[in-house]
Amino acid sequence: MSGPLEELDSILARVRKPARYLGNEWNSIHKKHALVAMRMVLAFPDLYEVGMSNQGLKILYDCVNRRPDLLMERVFAPATDMEALMRQYKLPLFALESQRPLNEFDVIGFSLQYELSYTNVLNMLDLAGIPLYSSERTESDPLVIGGGPCAFNPEPLAPFFDLFVLGEAEEALPELLARLAELKNENPGRKETLVRLSSLAGIYVPSLYEPIYREGQFCGMAKLDARAPSLIGKRTVADLDGIPYPTNPVVPYMQTVHDRAVIEIFRGCSRGCRFCQAGFIFRPVRRRSRDNILETARELINATGYDELSLSSLSSSDYPQIDLLVDELNENLAGKRVRCSLPSLRLDSYSVKLADQLHQGRRSSLTFAPEAATERLRLIINKNITEEDIFNALGDAVEAGWQGFKFYFMIGLPTEEEADVEAIITLCRKIRHYFKDRSGRKLNINVSVATFVPKAHTPFQWEPQLQITGVIERQHMLRKGFKNLPGFDLSWHEAEAGLLEAVFARGDRLLAPLLEKAWRLGCRFDGWSEHFSFQLWQQAFDELGLNAESYACRRFDYDDHLPWDHLFSGTDKEIFIREHRQAVAGDIPLRSGD
Amino acid sequence: MRICFSFARKMALSYLSHLDMLRLFLRALGRSGMPLAYSLGYNPHPRFTLALPLPLGVTASEEFGEILFTEEIAPDRFISLLQAQLPEALVLTGVTAVDMHKPSIASLVGAALYRAVPRGDCLNGIDPATLQGALDSLMEKEEILARRKTKKNKFVYTDVRPYILDLETGKNEDGSLTLKLLLQAGSQGGVPPAYVIEQLKQETGFGSFHAFDWQIHRERLFMKEDGVLQPLSERMGC
Repeated sequence: MSGPLEELDSILARVRKPARYLGNEWNSIHKKHALVAMRMVLAFPDLYEVGMSNQGLKILYDCVNRRPDLLMERVFAPATDMEALMRQYKLPLFALESQRPLNEFDVIGFSLQYELSYTNVLNMLDLAGIPLYSSERTESDPLVIGGGPCAFNPEPLAPFFDLFVLGEAEEALPELLARLAELKNENPGRKETLVRLSSLAGIYVPSLYEPIYREGQFCGMAKLDARAPSLIGKRTVADLDGIPYPTNPVVPYMQTVHDRAVIEIFRGCSRGCRFCQAGFIFRPVRRRSRDNILETARELINATGYDELSLSSLSSSDYPQIDLLVDELNENLAGKRVRCSLPSLRLDSYSVKLADQLHQGRRSSLTFAPEAATERLRLIINKNITEEDIFNALGDAVEAGWQGFKFYFMIGLPTEEEADVEAIITLCRKIRHYFKDRSGRKLNINVSVATFVPKAHTPFQWEPQLQITGVIERQHMLRKGFKNLPGFDLSWHEAEAGLLEAVFARGDRLLAPLLEKAWRLGCRFDGWSEHFSFQLWQQAFDELGLNAESYACRRFDYDDHLPWDHLFSGTDKEIFIREHRQAVAGDIPLRSGD
Repeated sequence: MRICFSFARKMALSYLSHLDMLRLFLRALGRSGMPLAYSLGYNPHPRFTLALPLPLGVTASEEFGEILFTEEIAPDRFISLLQAQLPEALVLTGVTAVDMHKPSIASLVGAALYRAVPRGDCLNGIDPATLQGALDSLMEKEEILARRKTKKNKFVYTDVRPYILDLETGKNEDGSLTLKLLLQAGSQGGVPPAYVIEQLKQETGFGSFHAFDWQIHRERLFMKEDGVLQPLSERMGC
C-alpha cells in the first residue's frame, strides 16, 4: 500500500482476506482532510463483508460525502487475526480510505444493527486508543455516536456513547455534523457542545439523563440539565424520492454477504407482526416511485457493473403493482444480463408468481416465513396466513419448477405451548406428503428455527423470553422430530446467543460494566458461533453479580418504567398495550394504516 | 471476437485473490458497456479468463487475460473503454485480437518468473553467499515433498522439485538483495513462490525467515514450446 501506514504491508501479507482492509475500492471516496469542516468515520462493528452488505452504511456514506464541507470514511471490525497483529505492531485502528487512525477524526459513528456486536464496539474503541467511557474522553477525543435499530434501546451502551441518533439519519446526520462544525468554531467545550446538540430533533445525549433505581427497580430517568428534552423522538424522512440515494455505491473486491446492487423500493411495513421491531421503528410506510426506481436502477447498474439488482423492503410483494415493475425492470436490464431479486416475499400465490417472473432460467430456492406452525399462534403474532395459503403457494411453486424451499419458524413466542412446537414437525410432515404426491423429485427443504427475542418498541416488549432450559428442550424436540423427515434440513439458533440478545435488547445501563467485563475477558464477534463463548459471558455475569435470565426472561407490567420509555419510536405505548392485550386474548388486530 | 490483453498489477491491489480479480474485471467490463459474450447453458457466465492466478500479495508486470465479445471491437477502443473502469493499480499494457480457434491462453502457460525482495530488515544479516548456498542445496535435492490439504481434510504429498526450474540471487540497483525464481506453472502443475521461499528458511537455518517478509513480483509468464521457454507475450503479441 502507498498509504501512511508503513507496517501495513507486512501485516496484510499475513492475514486472511486482506481485501477487507484496502479501502481503495471502486467508487470509494477519498477527500482531503484539510479541506473539510467535519471528518467522520462510519464504524461498523462486524466484519467488512457483513458491513458492506448493509444498505444504511451505503446511504450515509453517500449523503455525507455529497456535501463538499463534510467527509466520511469507513472502518469495520478487524478479524481476530488482524486484531492480533495490530496489537502486536501497535497499529491503531485506522479508517480504510485515508489509513488515518480513528482518533484523528471529529466523529466516530457506530452502526448499531445487532446486540451481539456490542463487544466489537468496545474493542474497536480500544484499538483506536479512544477512552471507552464518554465521561473519560477529553476535548481532543472524537465524538462517539451511534445509530441504527439498536439505538432505540441503547441503554446498555449509554455510558460508552456521547450521543445517539434516533431513526433515519439521512437528514439528521448532515445536520448534526454541520451544527457540530459551528460549535467547533465557537468552542464551548465538550460538555456544553453535547447539551446544545441535544436540542436537535432525534438526538439523544445519554449523559444528560440519570436512571433512577428504587430497591433495584428502574423507576425512570432524571434529567441532569434542564435544556435536555424529556422525550426524544425519532427522525423519519418524509419522501424517499426527495432524498438522495446512493447510485454509485462502493463496489467491494471481495465477495460480501449481499453481493449486488440494492434499491430500497419502500421503507416501513404495513403488516404489523407483533414481534418485529423493524416493522414498528421504520413506520410509516413510504414508497419510492416507480419512475424513481427505474431511473435509479439504470444508474446503479451503470455505476457498479453488478449483475444482480435486489429490490429491498420489509415485505416486497406489498409494493403496488410490483409485477408490472418487475416486468419493466427485466425489460430494461435484459440487454445487460442483470438479474432482479426480491427478498422478503410473502407466503401467497401472488408472491410465487412474482418469484417466477424474477428467476427465468435459474430456480434456486424460495423462502417462506410462517414463523409459527399453528393458526392460533400465527394470529397471536399477527402473521395472518392460513395453512391453505401455505399449501396454495407451495403448489404454485412446485408447478413452476421450484425445488428448494426455506422455511423460517420461531420458538418461544408468547403463549407458545409444546403443541405449537410439535405442530412445526406436523406441518413439515404434511409438506413432505404433499410433495410426494405431486413431484417425483428429491425434496430439499431447509427449516430454520430462531428463538423469539422480545424487543423494545413492539407489542411484545413486556413479554419474557422462554427460559434457556425450555429453549433447549424445544430444540431437542424438533431435532428428534426431524430425524424421521428425510429431505428436511433443520437448523436453529444457539440458545445462549438468543439469551444474550434478549438481555441487551431490553437491558438498562447496569449492563454497561458487564459489557466491558465480557470484552476484557476476551468476548468478540458474539454473533459468530465460532467465536461466541457463553462461558466467558457467564463468568462476566457472575463476577458482577448479575443474572442473564432475570433480564431476558423478565415479564414487565404495563405500568413498569421501561429503560427506553424516554425514546419515542413513533407508536404510542397505549397502542402497544392494546396490541399486546389483543394478542394475548387471541384477537385479530386491525391492519395498521399504510 | 476474441481479445487478449496484458496488464500490470501494482502494490495497491496486490492483496486481491484470483476470484477478486475476476470479479473486478467482470464488473469493470459490465460498466464499460462492451458486448460480452456469454457461455450457453442453464447458468450462463461471461467468457472471460485470466491466464494464471496471481498469488495474494504478489505484484506483476505482464499478466494476460482473454475475453470474447459478441461484436467486433477495435483493440485500442477496448483498451480505453476498459482502462477507464479500472482502478489505478491495474494498468492495461497491451491488446491483440486472437483467432477463435487458437488454444486458450491459460492452456499455454508453462512457467513464471518471480523476483522477490526482502521487506525491511527481515533478512537480519543473511549475506548473499549464505543465501546462494541455500539455493544451491535446494537445487541439489532430488525430491521436495510438499504437503497439501485436500478438501476432505486429508494430506497429500507432491514432489515439487521438478517444478523449480531455476533459482538465483541478484542485486537491485540500490545494492539490496533479490531472489529470482523461475517456476513451472499452469495446467501441468507448479509450485507457488512463497512455498519455495519457505523451503529456503529450512535450508538457511534462519528461523525468522518467512515468505511474508518478501515482496514478490511476477515479472513474466512463459510457454513451453519444444521444451524451450518462450515469453507468452511473443505468442500473444500484446
